[in-house]
Amino acid sequence: MRLFIANRGEIAVRIVAACRKLGIETVVAISDADRHTRAAQIADRAVCIGPAPAAESYLKMEAIVSAAKGTGCDAVHPGYGFLAENAKFQRLCIENGLIFVGPSASAMSAMGDKLAARRIAGEIKLPVVPGSGQVDHPDKVRALGRQIGYPFLLKATAGGGGRGMRIVRSPDEIAGSFASARAEAQAAFDEPTLYVERYIERARHVEIQVVGDAYGKIVHFGERDCSIQRRHQKLIEESPSPAVDSDLRARMADAALRLAGHVGYVNAGTVEFMLDLDSMEFYFLEMNTRIQVEHPVTEMVTGIDLVAEQIRIARGEALSVSQDDVKLNGHAIECRINAEVPELDFMPSPGKIVTWAPPSGSGIRVDTHCYPGYIVPPFYDSLLAKVIVHGPDRDSAITRMVHALDTFKASGVGSTVRFNRAVVAHPDFREGRVTTRWVEESFSRGTGWTGRAERQR
Amino acid sequence: MTLTHDDVRKILAILDESDCEEVHLEFGDVRLHLHRHGGEPGLRGARGADEPAARPSPELADEGRGAPTQPDPARGDRTEPIPEGTVGITAPMLGIFYRSPSPGEKPFVEVGDKVTPDDTVCLLEVMKLFNSVKAGAAGMVEEILVENGALVEYGQRLMLIRRDSA
Repeated sequence: MRLFIANRGEIAVRIVAACRKLGIETVVAISDADRHTRAAQIADRAVCIGPAPAAESYLKMEAIVSAAKGTGCDAVHPGYGFLAENAKFQRLCIENGLIFVGPSASAMSAMGDKLAARRIAGEIKLPVVPGSGQVDHPDKVRALGRQIGYPFLLKATAGGGGRGMRIVRSPDEIAGSFASARAEAQAAFDEPTLYVERYIERARHVEIQVVGDAYGKIVHFGERDCSIQRRHQKLIEESPSPAVDSDLRARMADAALRLAGHVGYVNAGTVEFMLDLDSMEFYFLEMNTRIQVEHPVTEMVTGIDLVAEQIRIARGEALSVSQDDVKLNGHAIECRINAEVPELDFMPSPGKIVTWAPPSGSGIRVDTHCYPGYIVPPFYDSLLAKVIVHGPDRDSAITRMVHALDTFKASGVGSTVRFNRAVVAHPDFREGRVTTRWVEESFSRGTGWTGRAERQR
Repeated sequence: MTLTHDDVRKILAILDESDCEEVHLEFGDVRLHLHRHGGEPGLRGARGADEPAARPSPELADEGRGAPTQPDPARGDRTEPIPEGTVGITAPMLGIFYRSPSPGEKPFVEVGDKVTPDDTVCLLEVMKLFNSVKAGAAGMVEEILVENGALVEYGQRLMLIRRDSA
């Protein structure tokens, strides 16, 4: 089998590694700016599909399908982001005789529209964050505000995670937030429709990893806690969640499996929940129909290679494990290291990496595409590496992460290594006292400055 | 010229002491623009809680070209030097290279043909959509580097044109 990797950066490297393990040949798509990327170096072949901008390369469905067919590939792995959750792309692959490493277009569409996903979840009696259908006018929002209570969120129906989102704390804010959220949703997703959802003040973000095969079997691999976020971007993830006991885990996993089963889910997916810390009730948030950035955390505690499992399932094999085989052993934590300067409001800082010496050793794993001399391009995301540690328990995992980050040497580009180190070493993190607003409220490293940088020609 | 963690701290410490609201710094080849909080730093779209987002930024100059990873003899590597007096026609997109308007018809050009900049020299097909590629230069077709029906990559050299001497 030959597999085409329609993605870049660290996940492209990750997919090549999984393919190597399975004896599968790899062809990776590269943009003009990614000719020297690590994935291009280690794949069997690299094909330049377009110029640097993602819209002209990694998002060009026809070029990707042509490249995959033209290099004799049987399957396409979309990674995460880009076209990974694009039902049209999935269908284009299938129509052209390519296996798609992911779910069906219909499962993708069902979960991709956040309102449809909420409705489906409600239909099968999953707890859903109290909210509305689509809202077309600020007056409707005002009426819902009285019903749902303040503060609430205005969210984009076509959005994901936190994009096209506004927190509304009082009626005065409605008009402005409605207009700006609509504009942002239109720009980001070409779909301005909004809906309203209650805002849970003290929450944890807990998600369940599920994997289904083409024979109707679906297994869960436990939860990940992704509460350390900044502006709705995940920074640090861990498994198991310090807030989840075995009873809560069983109930959340049951909900996740029921949803996945209901939409006939095949391949890897993640069902996200908000855990209301005041009531300890959990609510369905959304389902992501792709492999996630933070998948290594689950791999470290379960011993399962999720990306290899994705590929096996895509080529028609049954799930390699049963639910009884899945055990969460010890504790794993992941820190995302970005090319950003935290002191300048996390200003992106691409450029040429001078020193690059990630940590290593027992219980330490680093997923990266970077190397000394690599030029981090300015056209894509700022993720440089993921540092994942595993320990027999949470305290030892934290200690191991602090040590790992202390030994991580990186220069030439901005990096968030020291920021992450400060977060994991913080007593609130160690005591498990964080919420999804903790970074922005309690841990602000704000210096009062924001910035941007340019390189002169 | 790189900006270290400590550089940033020192710069900010100095600026905090000042009354400045906005600062532009130039050192080496880097220009840094800083705004004190309270000013609207510009619309920043909130991003997905999972996906790192694309960040448009000014282009960096190309800092060097390594050898391609898997040299493929049919590729027509664009970094290989070309004979003096010639210019390469490079693929503006990935696609299947066709020398003729349709199967069975004569090729657009043969080696030795004279071309003007607007002459179509080949087609690139992407999923049944055909795009014509123009010569882009006046001269004579010196070499055709790709086989009919082959997949060409974005930026791949397709032909060499020997330029008309002025």
